[in-house]
Amino acid sequence: MTVVGRTWNRLTLPGKVIFTALPILVVLTAGLIVAIAVLGGPVLDILAANLPIVRFVVAVTIILLITIPTAFLIIYMELKVIALMNLRIGPDRIGPFGSLQSVVPGLKVLMKEDFTPTGADPIVFTWAPVVTYLASVMTLLVIPFAPGLFGQDLNLGLLYFFAIGGLSVVGLLMAGWSSYNKYSLLGGLRSAAQVISYEIPLTLSVVGLILLAGTMSLNQIVEHQAGWFTNWYVFQQPLGVLIFFIAATAEANRTPFDLTEADSEIVAGFATEYSGMRFGFFFFAEYVNVFIISALTVTLFFGGWNAPFEWPWPVTLSLDPGSLGIALLILVAIVPLILTIVFAAPIWIASARIKGWQALVGGFILANLFVVAVILAIAYIGLDWVAGLLWFLGKTYVFVFIFVWMRGTLPRVRIDQLMDFAWKWLLPASLLNLFVTATAIVVFKTVRP
Amino acid sequence: MSLVPGIGIAKGMALTLRRFFEPKVTVKYPEDRRDPPHKFRGRLQLLYDEWGTLKCETCFQCAQACPIECIDMGGIDTRGRFHVHWGAPETYGERREESALRRSGRPVPDPAYLPFSPIDLAPVDAILEEFDHDPASMLQILEATQAAYGYLPVAALKRISQRTGAWYAMIYGTASYYSHLRFEPTEATVQAAAVDAHRPPESSYLAAFETALAGAGGGRARKSARA
Repeated sequence: MTVVGRTWNRLTLPGKVIFTALPILVVLTAGLIVAIAVLGGPVLDILAANLPIVRFVVAVTIILLITIPTAFLIIYMELKVIALMNLRIGPDRIGPFGSLQSVVPGLKVLMKEDFTPTGADPIVFTWAPVVTYLASVMTLLVIPFAPGLFGQDLNLGLLYFFAIGGLSVVGLLMAGWSSYNKYSLLGGLRSAAQVISYEIPLTLSVVGLILLAGTMSLNQIVEHQAGWFTNWYVFQQPLGVLIFFIAATAEANRTPFDLTEADSEIVAGFATEYSGMRFGFFFFAEYVNVFIISALTVTLFFGGWNAPFEWPWPVTLSLDPGSLGIALLILVAIVPLILTIVFAAPIWIASARIKGWQALVGGFILANLFVVAVILAIAYIGLDWVAGLLWFLGKTYVFVFIFVWMRGTLPRVRIDQLMDFAWKWLLPASLLNLFVTATAIVVFKTVRP
Repeated sequence: MSLVPGIGIAKGMALTLRRFFEPKVTVKYPEDRRDPPHKFRGRLQLLYDEWGTLKCETCFQCAQACPIECIDMGGIDTRGRFHVHWGAPETYGERREESALRRSGRPVPDPAYLPFSPIDLAPVDAILEEFDHDPASMLQILEATQAAYGYLPVAALKRISQRTGAWYAMIYGTASYYSHLRFEPTEATVQAAAVDAHRPPESSYLAAFETALAGAGGGRARKSARA
């Protein structure tokens, strides 16, 4: 048997599917690009006629791809922030301020052996991380990142989110059951009990918000919160936010509710028998979950992509670079030089010990930063999706920081405390929140019809 | 249970957030080396000379100067008359005996010290005579010694040190610096010596050849014709 044949036989079924599909996909994409370049108009017309399909494919691809850097960023944040809270420095060797540190374990995980234990159910064992990861990624599809920047605007967006988000527990159960390991099974069962218990207060806590907004489309919920930050639902649903946040922490299996992978009790829970990239998928799914939950909290309660204030004087840019003609070319040639010299001059003047070329390098860097800032400012003013994306990501990463902060502070709870808290406190509280909201709405409608 | 439920969580979160902004305690060791503590003196070690003799003169200056009084020692004084000691007597007994043994110049049973194999020193002495006992021509002396013995025996190096007055350490340094100088016989030399010891003398081969060639007839004649 040839080398290729041996390698092929060693692949699992998903591996075979992916290794067949990937070259086909590459060839098709290249063919599409060549077709657009050669034929032009007709191909673009066909694409424009099927815009929803094209949009969907592009959105799914982008969402799949952005989960990887998102996970890397959150892992880095976790390493760095918890280290700073422990009075350590944290990663500082790889990349500027250690920012590439999380890429290294990511690559390492890719190179590890993909091991299946004896007695495991290979098919379920292989697909469990895929289910978990896809359940996380698919929920990203309905989250509005910015005006016009979302995967799909479902009118049942919130319901879709909870339905698909609940799928991740199926993946965890599959992993726990198929691993042929008592610890894995315990972890899987715990995760099932925990996630299903907390799904009830999680869902009930947003019902009040749905009553207020009158819609389940996340886009419309965000649009309802436009204007000053007092319009955010957090001020109308303070209890709802609290319940939602706590229940979402439990949903994502984050500290202090990470009972499913309590390493002091059950090794690593459902992930005990996993190695290599299969474990990597669980790991990534956890961090993507953190991002998604933060994003959903922002979307529902903190105004999504809306800025917290309304700019009272509308700013419009009347800039048409095309009208400058030949002057534009001269500007493009001269402005970088002038900017570099302008920024280098104060550095050179500041200290006699700084040499001319050092001042020039510093000036070049400063000029670049200045240009980037100017471009960002113009984009912020001119393109509302850039502004929306910046606000959305900023708010989301504040909540990611809170998750990391909680992980750096709070100890893990016991399993009976966890269940008690869900059923005895959160569930009544969310019901109370729902009743109070409903009553208030009825009262307001009677008073001011 | 505190008065306000959840106040402990808030306190903990506030604590970690304060820590987040506080200065960090990590020392980045290879780049950032802090000064050692005030009374730090490094590792204490006694040195030996090239004969394996302790260099310590038992002068007690180190023990006197020690700020934390961690040195206790004993031995024979510099004129070899009295046992002297510093520190509590029950702590130095064994070391005193070892020290005395080393200072006496007798061979010390130290497993780290290689066994000394005696050699025929006549070739070294001849070489030294040839180079006028001049340590300046050390490399030539060493090369000639290696040519004579096939390698550089430790005994020969010590003989050179003794006769030229150069330090053994310097000679050893010279010998170990040049890659063509070796301290052990090559494998080929050892094998050749072994074969040499078992081989019959050359004359027996020559006699056998002579007989064979004479029997065939004209062996010598053919050889001369070719020449």
